[in-house]
Amino acid sequence: MKCALIYPIFGVNRIATIQRRSSLNTTAAAQIIVNALRGAGINLVATLPDINLSELLREVEESRELIHVPVCREEEGIGICAGAYLVGKKCAAIMQNGGFFNSNNAIVSTLLQYQIPLLLLIYYAGDVGDRTFSTTGSLTEPVLQALGIRYYVMRETEDAPELIRRAQILTEDSKRPVALLLTKELLGRRPALKAL
Amino acid sequence: MQRFDCLKKLAQVAGDALVVSSAGAVTLEWNALRPGDGNFRVRTLGLCSSIALGMALGLPERRVIALDGDGSLLMNLSSLPTIARMKPKNLLHIVFDNEVYEASGSKKTATGAGTDLVGLARAAGIENAQWAESVEVFAQVAERALKGDAVSFIGVKVGTERAPVGPYPMDEVENKYRFIRYVEKSANIAILKTNLPASYD
Repeated sequence: MKCALIYPIFGVNRIATIQRRSSLNTTAAAQIIVNALRGAGINLVATLPDINLSELLREVEESRELIHVPVCREEEGIGICAGAYLVGKKCAAIMQNGGFFNSNNAIVSTLLQYQIPLLLLIYYAGDVGDRTFSTTGSLTEPVLQALGIRYYVMRETEDAPELIRRAQILTEDSKRPVALLLTKELLGRRPALKAL
Repeated sequence: MQRFDCLKKLAQVAGDALVVSSAGAVTLEWNALRPGDGNFRVRTLGLCSSIALGMALGLPERRVIALDGDGSLLMNLSSLPTIARMKPKNLLHIVFDNEVYEASGSKKTATGAGTDLVGLARAAGIENAQWAESVEVFAQVAERALKGDAVSFIGVKVGTERAPVGPYPMDEVENKYRFIRYVEKSANIAILKTNLPASYD
């Protein structure tokens, strides 16, 4: 079976081992990302969940150095981060790409209009290898391009600290939002294994 | 009741509170009554309460006042449960409810059809939420809220009259810089920093 090839198993319970391994990976990836955010000076994070962001949001919630603001709609988070920036906080907003679409008016008429920096961490639903929201996925990069928002697709967990550090420098220097697209593999999750 | 009369009372007790005001005439009227760099004008309809929440969370020792409108809050109702969840002790959220989209052709909002914004705030979990039925009551409630230690929400039913005031004196980017510099100076913190050129390394 394909999964046996990708995840060689030496023991008795293949599924459990894959799950355990996947869980270890997601936790490790989440810790790497949250440590990188703290290392970049981020101290306030607005979030709205996606299942693929579960471990990341848990790490954000558990971090004592971060003010965590769970929002009900992503556009709120843009306002909260803008307000916090104006009084001296360094902020990040974590959401799914559907939430990025929800936030577009605030991104345009607050962040871009006032030249306010913000790190956007956007889960890339509908990315290649994802089975859901392919339309959202197909429009994510074009919309970022249309808004003139520079973005990077993050696939390697080990690159995350450096990319997050650089993205924070870029958003501060350009005084525009910068987006990091979080893929399944970055987050330690498996892309869909085979076609239906 | 007129919004301008309430704002006059608020200006007497606002002190050095940071004031975030919604897109619309309330911004111009407030700026006429308390001009200064501690005012931030919001241009995204709905975002006033969220921007104020971000300021209140980011600077917990400083009072923050949101001057919101019914059309604006109706567009961002989800900010109410988020404010209730975060419970910023230093935030006073005031909504002037004139039941129309005043800046957009005076079409009726949902509050004109019966929606109760104070009821929504309470149901969202903001316990200290009430209507102020007169200018005098508003002045008392606002002063108490600014001295208190819990997030407060005040609704005021007002008419659609506008006070004769001038235009806002600056654009968005200047507003941002002046506001940040004011916060830096008054809170004694450094926010905007620059670096030496690479040749100095």
